[in-house]
Amino acid sequence: MKLQFEQVTKTFGSLEVIRHFDTRVETGEIVALVGPSGCGKSTLLHMVAGLESPFSGRLLVEGKPITEPSPQRTLVFQEHALYPWMTLLENVALALEFQGRPRKEALAEAGNWLAKVELPGFEDYYPHQVSGGMRQRTALARAFIARPQVLLLDEPFGALDALTRMTLQSVLKDLIEEERPTVLLVTHDVDEALYLADRVMVFSHRPATILKEITLGHIPKTHDLSAFAAERREVLELLGIDAGSNKQASNPEGTHP
Amino acid sequence: MSSTQSTGVQSKTAYLIAIAIILFFWQVAAWFLPDFLMPDVWTAMLRLWQELNSGEFYEGLANSMSRLGAGYGTALFFGIILGLLGGTLNAVRSPLKAAIIILQSIPSIAWVPLFLILMGFGNLPIIVVVAIGAFFPTALSVMNATESVEKVHISAARVMGASRFQMLHRVYFPAVTPELITGAQLAFGNAWRALISAEMIVGFSSGLGRSLAYSGEVADMTGVMTNILVIAILAAIIDQVLLENIKHRLLRYQYL
Repeated sequence: MKLQFEQVTKTFGSLEVIRHFDTRVETGEIVALVGPSGCGKSTLLHMVAGLESPFSGRLLVEGKPITEPSPQRTLVFQEHALYPWMTLLENVALALEFQGRPRKEALAEAGNWLAKVELPGFEDYYPHQVSGGMRQRTALARAFIARPQVLLLDEPFGALDALTRMTLQSVLKDLIEEERPTVLLVTHDVDEALYLADRVMVFSHRPATILKEITLGHIPKTHDLSAFAAERREVLELLGIDAGSNKQASNPEGTHP
Repeated sequence: MSSTQSTGVQSKTAYLIAIAIILFFWQVAAWFLPDFLMPDVWTAMLRLWQELNSGEFYEGLANSMSRLGAGYGTALFFGIILGLLGGTLNAVRSPLKAAIIILQSIPSIAWVPLFLILMGFGNLPIIVVVAIGAFFPTALSVMNATESVEKVHISAARVMGASRFQMLHRVYFPAVTPELITGAQLAFGNAWRALISAEMIVGFSSGLGRSLAYSGEVADMTGVMTNILVIAILAAIIDQVLLENIKHRLLRYQYL
């Protein structure tokens, strides 16, 4: 599904969070939105999900304005979005039950998806009984089971430790390659953006405007991002990290004293 | 698992100690007062045993329980519905909450004279008084819980395409269940107090409250203490055994 943002502006009261945001996302493209926290990236995702509407400008999916949420555009939240009163299996199945699928069928398919995110044997556990990484695996299964055409990820692994995060990024990458949805990923992990995305948009402070777009193209990648050192440095500088310390940034080890 | 078990044992021990202390003070009072003013614990227990073997006792018990069931059940039903509505509809919430807070301060027993004349002598005025006592804590707890359902839980359901009914049934209702149960236990206390006092005032038919009032009228102190004993034991059984059990069953996921 193709997404078009036409001069999208969003305000909360007198607070302007997004100003004249304008871009196109092609079908199957993976776009990462990187920027300082609180800059309005999440609000952009919520608007695509149909949870919020723009103050002015237009937001189109396949040429039609977004008016309400749809299972075709699903959103993965940072955490705590699983229902604590349901087992992991029931949580995943719920996405199908809400679409009118019979419970038995939904549970069976949920089992398959839990296996796909490498959680077999944990079907009957409740969210509070498993680790944060396992919860987010479940959240991914719940998102993908609906076979969304647009996948919105709102800092999905932000609360996880570095190792778990990288493992989950690989799980997510595999799922995306298999299902090929259009992906919008909000993150403040630069490496996550470079690893997963075909295109990285760097945002300014509020109100959010695009500072720079970096096109990487849809190419196979590993977590060894040394081939993208130049892009990485550029993004970090745009975000004001290591700004004006080019000597350090060009240090081949990339380490800090 | 082990922690819930040990707290269960602890609270059971606490209850046993409390019961022993209460009975001890009663017995001390019985030693100092003449028998016709304060019977021994043992005498009251014997009377209770005799009562348990008489048909009259069960008739009164059945009458009280059916009034309680009707009043408490009605209160839970409307309390949950109004609480969910009030919690989800912003326009209804504040006025409803204010009305509940005002009406809640009126002791439910104060409604008895009005309802007696309005509805006549019968079960209905007592049932209504019981329902009033139980309704407010139920509605308030459900409303407050509905208001504070996590936003991300609602957003997630919307994104997954939940209908309005699915949202209420699969998200709001289970989300408010823990507070609902706490509210229902509070409501039971109110309902029970309202039931006994209303039965004491409304002098007809049979029931636990009537039986207690009658014993007082004929200065049968053993009868009075026996009735109080019955009222206390029943309340403890319903609250600590029945409602606690339902709570553990409904909130099973929290105790794993």
